Amino acid sequence: MSKSIAWIVTVGILMALVPAASAGIKLITLPPRERVEIQLDNPQVTLVEEERVVPLTQGVNDVVFAWANTSIDRESIQLRCLSDPENVKVLSVSYPPGENALTWQVASPKAGSARIRISYLIGRLDKSYAYQATASPDEKQLTLWQYVQLHNQSNEEFGTSGMWAGFGEHLERPIGINETKKLLSARFTDVPVQKVYLADLAAHGYLDEGKRQLRVPMSYRLKNDSAHGLGAFPLMFGKARIFQDDGKGMSAFLGEDWARFTPRDDELDLFLGVAKDIVVKRTIDRREQKRVLGNLYDYDVIVKYEIENFKDQSVVLDLAESLPALRTEIGVNSGRDVEWELGDQGTLTKSQMDVEKTTVDRVLFHVELSPRGPDDQAVKTTHTLHVRIRNEW
Amino acid sequence: MTRMMTIVLMSAGFAAVVTASSNIDLSTIPPRDGVQLTIYNSEDLTLVRETRTVTFKKGMNPLQFSWANTLIDPSSVELRFKTNADQLEVLDTTFPHDKPQMLYWNVRSELDGDAQVEVTYFTSGISWAADYVCTSDPQEERMRFEGFVRITNQSGEDYENAQVRMVVGTINLVEKVRELAQRGLIGEEDRLEYERGRRPVSKMVDEVRRDLSMELKAGMAVAESAAAPKEIVKQGLSEYFLFTVEGTETIRNTWSKRMRLFQGLQVPFRIQYRFRPQEYGPQMVRMFLLRNDRESDLGTTPLPDGIVRLYRDNGRDGLSMLVQQCIRYVPIGQEIELNLGVDPEVIHEWVKLASRRDNFWFRRHDVEVYYSPQQGHQVEIRDTVAGWDEHQSWVERIRNYRNKPVNVEIRRQFAGDVLFRSDLAPTLYDYQSPQFASTIEPGQKRDLAYDLTFRQGRNQKQNRVTLEER
Repeated sequence: MSKSIAWIVTVGILMALVPAASAGIKLITLPPRERVEIQLDNPQVTLVEEERVVPLTQGVNDVVFAWANTSIDRESIQLRCLSDPENVKVLSVSYPPGENALTWQVASPKAGSARIRISYLIGRLDKSYAYQATASPDEKQLTLWQYVQLHNQSNEEFGTSGMWAGFGEHLERPIGINETKKLLSARFTDVPVQKVYLADLAAHGYLDEGKRQLRVPMSYRLKNDSAHGLGAFPLMFGKARIFQDDGKGMSAFLGEDWARFTPRDDELDLFLGVAKDIVVKRTIDRREQKRVLGNLYDYDVIVKYEIENFKDQSVVLDLAESLPALRTEIGVNSGRDVEWELGDQGTLTKSQMDVEKTTVDRVLFHVELSPRGPDDQAVKTTHTLHVRIRNEW
Repeated sequence: MTRMMTIVLMSAGFAAVVTASSNIDLSTIPPRDGVQLTIYNSEDLTLVRETRTVTFKKGMNPLQFSWANTLIDPSSVELRFKTNADQLEVLDTTFPHDKPQMLYWNVRSELDGDAQVEVTYFTSGISWAADYVCTSDPQEERMRFEGFVRITNQSGEDYENAQVRMVVGTINLVEKVRELAQRGLIGEEDRLEYERGRRPVSKMVDEVRRDLSMELKAGMAVAESAAAPKEIVKQGLSEYFLFTVEGTETIRNTWSKRMRLFQGLQVPFRIQYRFRPQEYGPQMVRMFLLRNDRESDLGTTPLPDGIVRLYRDNGRDGLSMLVQQCIRYVPIGQEIELNLGVDPEVIHEWVKLASRRDNFWFRRHDVEVYYSPQQGHQVEIRDTVAGWDEHQSWVERIRNYRNKPVNVEIRRQFAGDVLFRSDLAPTLYDYQSPQFASTIEPGQKRDLAYDLTFRQGRNQKQNRVTLEER
């Protein structure tokens, strides 16, 4: 594997890449890179722009650009003259056979130096995102660091180069061959965080199916808007590691999750682990089939949730129910949309429903749970959801 | 392997005794005076027209033409006299059976002196392709649009100082030139026919050759300019478009050469967000739309198939890569669509708000009779549902985080007998695809709402979408 792969030379007229017989004594110059910008804002490809100062003679000059052992998209290579774009012109480009090289025929009205910019798409030089967050001891807020990780497998070394990921800071760093560089691109402090406990059978299943005990994942919820200390740009997909400040100058690792792409104003839930101190047992208490007409039926269903909070803090539990899954569970599976309405015989009523997040297929309630008592006994709370599933056959 | 093509003027009497030729011959090799390449991009086909000066003597003049290690279709090689045509005549053409990639012409001459001859033939292995580089301004209102052509020579022959012409369009060939070049003059089927004397093999691709020869008139000899990019002259030609490179170019075997075809410096474009799953997949995409016409600083030529690389001046003395995509042939006057993909700053969600069913019809269990409670009919316990209407309420929820208003256009396809109700002024793109458009202001979140009624079972009378004002 060779280093210093991409290079550029200027040679006198008609002297470059011509058959060997015509090449006599020639002087070539190897102008170094003056500036490099690596544009990482496109999710699929990486654009490199490099500037060099090349000496040009009056007339037509051959400017040779060659590379080896690196995956430059040769079709994408462009040359632009920055110092005198009106007069220094690229006449044509020639591609020699079997070589990773090309020759620009560049016409210059006068002899002298010209600053040129060469841009090309390069493979195996890509980016990913990573997040780290440290929550406060009370888990009410956190500090969030966003990192851009640049992975250079392109087999080309770039000296100090500007990098831009499409938003956030413009960074300048060198990056060597096979290096991965982790760069802090943004830092957000005092970001309010909400601890979310979710009981949703269709999404997360049982922790103990025999006992009908639901798996209750705990997540940190961040909102990507300015009111919650974020919202400057969409949060890109990446791994997030969450720590907690233990209040004694140390921190503990709470867990990690993949942060999905989060547009502005959307919520980001980071799943940290299963909350085993919150016990939710879910059973179907009622299933009544009522004929409407002919073979058309309505189903009256009551789902019961027995909930115990063994924590010494009160928490809010999200109770979610998927209506298609519930219909399947009671033995009806027509494949049609579920037509349903809330009944009035449950403790979970329409006024308690989270209207914003309830959809046509999923209903969501928030339930406040008291901490365990002084005797370390948890209070068992029972909630019921009364649903009428209509017009099935 | 280059420079394998030769034309040889041999001593008299040689041609008549090709197979039993003497060991001592005198021959001269007249060089090319000029060569013209007409390269087609729809087929692996190039028409080569080369001129040479040959000195004839009175009487019979055998000429040998050979093309070892090239990809020439032997059936296409023709000799024509550009000067003294009334004094020169090709008596016959011989393809020796033991010497592939060679032929002899017997020329009867009443001239004793020089004449200019033209040899034309088809070759494969030379191709050209277009590509485009577009650079938008930071405001995303105008762009620089540059078109390039790239010629690649894999024909086995160097073409020095050639006049180069490129044809845009789809021609019809009955056989591939590369196959003809590789299998020689006679295919097995033709050979059988030839042996039976039923079909002159030399006429094998005559029709195609004649059509193309008609198109080729005298080339434009423009002096080569050293200090400015060569102009490429564009002209219409029947169903095709012809690009002629100013002056001459040397196209070496196995090399490629790229030249600018045209450029538009201030090409206006508009941005539209489109949701068209059949065209762009199940996502709202950002489109740059421009037109290949003179009003848009383009329109000097149709745009051949090619790759477009679209950049944006990022306002920080650099470029951002927006997209690279292939475009198909764009005639003069037609719109050019560049699909930038999903925009993380414009969020689109399709949210179902409600679903319900009504207008039930029941089939009597033992007869083909239908009853509707809505019509006051009595429904019996063993009757079964035979028809119903399914009502759904939907919103297309769009959030615009850009600092400019965005225009969105949504087109969806629904199968069945469907009623589409909305106040979005929808139109029908086709019988099952309603579409509508709206503008979303910066920072705005907007729900574009509509209701759908699917008539199901026996309620379905049609298979099409109808529109109704809500």
